[in-house]
Amino acid sequence: MKRPALRDGLIGLAAFLILAALPLLTTSSALVDFVIRCAALGLFATSLNLLVGYGGMVSFGHGLFFGMGAYSFGIIMQRTGMPIPLAILLTLGVAAIVALAVGAICVRLKEIYFAFVTLAFQMLVHSMIIAWVPVTGGDQGLRGGIPRPSFLGINLADQKQLYLFSAALLVLGLMAMRHIVSSPFGYTLRLVRDNPARAGFLGIDVYRTRLTAFVLAGVFASLGGVLMSLFVSGAYPEFAFWTMSGEAVFIVMLGGTVAFLGPMVGTVLLLLLNDFVTRVAEHHGLVLGTVILLFALGLRKGLLDFVMDWRAARRTRAQAGADRPPGPNTIAGTDKMERVAT
Amino acid sequence: MSKPSLIALNRRGFLAAGAAAAGTVSMPWVAGAQAKVVKVGFPTILSGRVAQLGTSSRNAAQMEVEKVNAAGGLAGRPIELVIRDTKGQPQEAARVARELVNSDGCEMLIDAEASTGAFAVHEVARDLGILCIHTNSETSSLTADPKLRLPNAFRCARQGIHDSVVGGSYAAEIANAKNLTRWATCSPDYAYGRDTTGEFVMYLKRFAPKVEVISEAWPKIFQPDYTESITKLLQAKPQALYSCLWGGDLTSFIDQAAIYALFTQMQFYAVNMADYTALTVVKNLPAGIHSGNRYIKTFPATPQNAAWGDAYRAKYGEYPTNWAWQNGLVINFLAEAAKKANSADGKKMADALRGLTIASPLGADGTVTMRAEDQTIIGYAVGWGTTIPKEPYVPEMKSVPWQRILELEAEWKKDKGFT
Repeated sequence: MKRPALRDGLIGLAAFLILAALPLLTTSSALVDFVIRCAALGLFATSLNLLVGYGGMVSFGHGLFFGMGAYSFGIIMQRTGMPIPLAILLTLGVAAIVALAVGAICVRLKEIYFAFVTLAFQMLVHSMIIAWVPVTGGDQGLRGGIPRPSFLGINLADQKQLYLFSAALLVLGLMAMRHIVSSPFGYTLRLVRDNPARAGFLGIDVYRTRLTAFVLAGVFASLGGVLMSLFVSGAYPEFAFWTMSGEAVFIVMLGGTVAFLGPMVGTVLLLLLNDFVTRVAEHHGLVLGTVILLFALGLRKGLLDFVMDWRAARRTRAQAGADRPPGPNTIAGTDKMERVAT
Repeated sequence: MSKPSLIALNRRGFLAAGAAAAGTVSMPWVAGAQAKVVKVGFPTILSGRVAQLGTSSRNAAQMEVEKVNAAGGLAGRPIELVIRDTKGQPQEAARVARELVNSDGCEMLIDAEASTGAFAVHEVARDLGILCIHTNSETSSLTADPKLRLPNAFRCARQGIHDSVVGGSYAAEIANAKNLTRWATCSPDYAYGRDTTGEFVMYLKRFAPKVEVISEAWPKIFQPDYTESITKLLQAKPQALYSCLWGGDLTSFIDQAAIYALFTQMQFYAVNMADYTALTVVKNLPAGIHSGNRYIKTFPATPQNAAWGDAYRAKYGEYPTNWAWQNGLVINFLAEAAKKANSADGKKMADALRGLTIASPLGADGTVTMRAEDQTIIGYAVGWGTTIPKEPYVPEMKSVPWQRILELEAEWKKDKGFT
C-alpha cells in the first residue's frame, strides 16, 4: 500500500514540476489560460468519474456542484473578503453539506432514476440561482469581479501565479482522488458497483458507501468550480446548467472511464478540439458532434481506454506468439474483453 | 566549356538574385504593413438561437470597417476584425476575449455579446486594462452602476431605461386619450424581461396615473408554446397589453395569439416588434401593434439612414437588425476617436471617446454622443409607432426629446442609488 502511494506522490510532484516549468519555455498566455481551464474542468470531470467509472452511478446533475463551488466562492469573496484558502475550505464544506443532502435522496435510486433525480436537483439549484437575484445576481451572474487579496505572498490577480496555483490544486486534487480510489474504500466502491447484493451480504453498508462517494465527488467538483470562477472572475448560471453536466459526461466518454487519468485526457482533448475548431470553423457543433460519434460508434470507448486495451491486446498477442502460433481466437478474445475501472 | 554554362548560370542567377533582392527589399514593407494593422477582437454569438443577431453584428461592423479602411483606417492603420464565436456562454466569452488579446494580438475589443457574456468580457477588460466597447448589452447597470465602471470600458448600444422612458410616455399619451386603464403584461421571465417591464409600467403609471396592471404573464425565455399565457390574458380582459418578448419568442407569441383573435380584443404594445427580423417573420402581422424602434430604415426618416439600410441589404441580402446598427456605429466611433487622438493607441482613444459626438444616420438629430460621465451613448434614435403589415412597416414614429429622457434617467439613477 505504501509504495504505490509513494509512486503516485512522485508522479504528482513530477507533473507539477513540468507544469511549473512550462511558462519558462514559452511566453504564450494562451497556454497559461489553457492549463487553468484544464485544471478546472479536469477536476470536475475526474470527480464525475468517481461516480461513473468507480461507483457505477451515472449522474446527469454533477454540474450542480461545479456551479455551487463557483457561486459559493464568489459570494464569500465578494461579501466577506476572507483569505482565499479559508474561502476555498468553506466552499468545499458548503458543497459537502449540499452533496450530503442531495446524495441522501439520490443514491438510493438506481440507474436511470438516479440520473434523472440528480438532473432534477441540478435544475432546482439552477432555478434558485436565477430567482435569488439579491444574492446571486440572477441570470446576469455574479458581477463586479471576484476580489483576490494576496495570501502567503501569492497574488492570484496575477495570471502566472493563478496558473501555478491552479496547477498545484489540480495535482493535489488528482492525487487525493487517486488515493481514494486505491484505498480500501475505493475497492469497496467497486465491489458495490459490480454486485451490490453481494456487497450487502458481506456486511458492507451499500448506501453509506455510495453516499460517501457522492459527497467526495461533489467536493472535488466544487474545487473545479472555484478555479473556474477565479479564471473568469465571476460566476454565471450556465455553470450550474445541465449543459455543464453534459460537458463532463462528454469528457468522460471522450477520455475513458477505466483509466484514472481518462477524464483528464478527455478534458485536454475536448478543450483542444473546442479551441481549435471554434477558431477555424463556423459550424463547430457539427465537428464536435462528429468526433463524439466517432468515439461512441468507432472506438466504443474513451481514448485512453482504447490505448490501454490496444497495449494489453498487443502484450497478450506477443505472449501468445512466444508460446504458440497466434490463433484467431486470442485476438478476438482480447478485443471483446469488457474493461471496467479496476 | 565553362563559358556557356556560366552565362546560363548568370541569366538564371540574375533572375533568382533579382527575385531574392525584390523579396528582401519588399520584406520590411510587407512586415511593416502587417505591423501597421490594428487588430480588433470581436467576440460575438455566431451559433445557437441568437446567431442571426451575432451574424448581423459582424456584417455591419465589417461593412463600416471597409469604409474606414478605405479612408485611411485608424490614424493611418487599417482595422482588421478578428471575429470569434462565444456560443453565448460567459466562460467561453471570457476565454475567447482573453485569447483575442493575449494570443491574437488584438489591441482593443468590440464586445458584441449579449448581457451575461458582456459582464464576463467586462471582467476581462478590467483584468487586461484594454479598450473594450460593449455593443449589444442593453442592461442599464452595465454602465450606470458606478461599482462596475472602468475607465477603459464603454457601451455603444441602446439601453433599457431609455426605451422605457420613451415607451412609457408614448403609451401613457394613448392611454389618457382613449381611457385605457386596465393593462396586462406578458414578458419573458428573466432579468431583462422583469426589469424592462417594471420600468415601462413605472413610467406608464407616472404619466397616466389611472392605469392599473390587472394581469401579468411570465413565460420562460425560448418557450415554444404560449397557450397558457394567452388564455390567462384573454380571461383577464385587459384593454391593453405590454410585452418585451423578442426575436423568435415574440413572433411565436403573435402567431399563436392571432389564432385566439387576441389582437382584436386589446391594444398590443411590443417594444421589440419593429425590427426587420421580427416584422418579416410573422405570417399575418396584425395592423396597429405599437412598437419601439429597434432598427428601421424609415426612422430617423432621413435619406442617410435609408441609404445605410439599403447598402446593408444590397451587401448581405437582408435588412440590418438592432444589433447591426450598434456594431456599425462603434466602428465610426473608433474612427473618429482615432482621428481626434491622432493615434490608434487604446488609452489615447479611450480619452478621445469620452464625450465624443459624431455624425451618424442613427442619431436622433444626426449625431450620437458618447456621454463622458458613464461612457455610454446618448442621442441615438429612439421612438415608438404603430405597425402596418407591409413596408415601410412603421410609417410614423413618435419620440421624446432627449433632454426629457436624460432628466428622467437622472431621476432613475438617483432612485437606484447609482448617483
